[in-house]
Amino acid sequence: MLEVKNLTKSFDSPSGKVTALENVNISIKTGEFASIIGKSGSGKSTLLGVLGALDTPTSGSIKVDNVDISKLSANKQTAYRSKKIGFVFQQYNLIPNLTALENVMLALEFGGMPAGKRKSRAEQLLDEVGITPDEMLRKPTRLSGGQQQRVSIARALANRPSIILADEPTGNLDSKTGKMIFDMLHKLSRSENTTILAVTHDMDIAGKTDRTFTLVDGKIVA
Amino acid sequence: MNVVSRGIKNAFRSPMRSGAIILMLAISIGLILSMLVARSSVNAKIDQVKSNAGTNITITPAGVFGFAGGGNNLTSAQVSQISKTAHITTTTAALNDQLASTDTNLTPSLTLGNFGARQARFESSSSNSSASNGGPTAAELASRPAPTPHTTVTGTTNPNSISTNGSNLSITNGATIDGNSSAYIALLGKDLASKNNLTVGKTFTAYGKTFTVNGIYTTGNTFQDSGIIMPLATVQNLTSQSGQVSSVIAKVDSSENVNSTVASLKSTLGSKADIVSQAQQAADSVSSLQSISGLALASVIGSAIAGAVIILLAMIMIVRERRREIGVIKAIGGTNRKVVAQFISEALTITVIGSIVGLTLGVLASGPMTSSLVSSSQNSSSSTQSGTRDSGGPGGAFLRGGFNRVSSNLTQVTSSITPQVFALSVGITLLIAIIGSAVPAWFIARISPAEVLRTE
Repeated sequence: MLEVKNLTKSFDSPSGKVTALENVNISIKTGEFASIIGKSGSGKSTLLGVLGALDTPTSGSIKVDNVDISKLSANKQTAYRSKKIGFVFQQYNLIPNLTALENVMLALEFGGMPAGKRKSRAEQLLDEVGITPDEMLRKPTRLSGGQQQRVSIARALANRPSIILADEPTGNLDSKTGKMIFDMLHKLSRSENTTILAVTHDMDIAGKTDRTFTLVDGKIVA
Repeated sequence: MNVVSRGIKNAFRSPMRSGAIILMLAISIGLILSMLVARSSVNAKIDQVKSNAGTNITITPAGVFGFAGGGNNLTSAQVSQISKTAHITTTTAALNDQLASTDTNLTPSLTLGNFGARQARFESSSSNSSASNGGPTAAELASRPAPTPHTTVTGTTNPNSISTNGSNLSITNGATIDGNSSAYIALLGKDLASKNNLTVGKTFTAYGKTFTVNGIYTTGNTFQDSGIIMPLATVQNLTSQSGQVSSVIAKVDSSENVNSTVASLKSTLGSKADIVSQAQQAADSVSSLQSISGLALASVIGSAIAGAVIILLAMIMIVRERRREIGVIKAIGGTNRKVVAQFISEALTITVIGSIVGLTLGVLASGPMTSSLVSSSQNSSSSTQSGTRDSGGPGGAFLRGGFNRVSSNLTQVTSSITPQVFALSVGITLLIAIIGSAVPAWFIARISPAEVLRTE
């Protein structure tokens, strides 16, 4: 259960105070696949950052399983990110000098899994997203965009998070691969009962999610 | 795959760049080590020169210089006054004499030459000095017997004081003599011994007595190697100069007390003696070494700063370049501590490799670097010292032996890498690594995980 109440985020910029998010209220049930659509500059990424505890809101509350994450200390927020949240980014954001396998194992290390169990768990996760054993030992630059995004999904799933936050997960992929990634996320939300919140500007994809929020100038309009 | 191994792996991520950083670091670390070695070697030499030669005081009768000049020898009362003076630890007394052909059966190994002939030109005319003020006429010179070279006898309480290089007298054959005995024993200079075909155990006559050759010595100085060394008392007795000495070398307990001791000797001996201390001479001699020492210290500090700046800039560059990656690690749950530890391990890897290469370079370079530093500075300073050395007649070398050895020894600074110096340079290197990682660590801590959402 994700509950966002009266969330406001503003920055101080040279030209004065900029309000990126204004009084946002969202409620997403566990296992729901929701999407946020909006033009660039509408505050989508800011909302995702605040929800993922990458950034702190100016005011308001974000409750994940009844814990207000905006009130946590920096260390607790880091722990929250590692255990409760999985991120999938448009740029994949894999660590360039680690292999696909090591990238997933890194997330497992931060999640607190004992060193001995990490490798088999990472292999299992990568296998689930369709990465072959040969591809597991490759570095990100030697994988295609679709393969990289699948590795990043495996990484996001590593610590069995309650929410997966996806920032334009299909934005850098061709439509066929994008659909495959979308279907994979959709399947996960069903099989693992994981809440998924995806930011996108692709109306096609948004239309297939359980719920769609539209963000205009930092406000939810629908 | 833990934090440390990720850091080590990252250090080799860009081999060309890491290689360049390591090379720059190695040069500065090598410079640190070799400059520390140069400094400690030079400082050791300064201490040695100050403690050895710098504390000697030479006391000679007023007006006497070698065999030239005139005046009265120092008396036994004066010698005992000198040895009782505060801060004087040991005294070496010597009485010089010259053997003419009538005093000995030895053939002098020195020939008169132009120099000796000129020095000897007054000798036979001294008793019947002519009234004419213009010196001996050509006729008078012709009527004199041809002057002969003399053999120098040094009666000394310590034969090692004849040595010209500061160490013990080099005995090539036989054994040294006891300077405090009054036996008819002698050490012969190498040249004199070979001229007279004398070897250890053979005898010769001097002052009407038969002397046994106890040993043959060599100093590398032709004047000294043509002489005889006898116990002081022997020479005093045979020349009817009991208790008299023509020079005393007094050693002061520490270099700080030299000036005050000279002053107190001047007041007790008054105008009867000339007193020369080596303190000033030694200070002049080591001043160039002291400037090398200062220069080396400045280089150590300079290269330590350079090393720290190199690793600092390299790490800042790497951190800036990997801003996004740091953001990703933080976003997926990596703590600040883990990210900082990873970068410190990367910085340490580079520093360790750099210091291994650098210390190897330093070990190889420190010897040549020290000697080139010392010899180049000595070349510039020797010209200012030469003027003080070359004066006086025969025998003057005896007085100045101590001074000569100060200067000649200065260029023999041997560089040695002591464990302390090595440990110090390792310590400085470690400091460089800490400075080089601490500042980037601060940058890392300030990178927000929200960095990942930034689109380029």
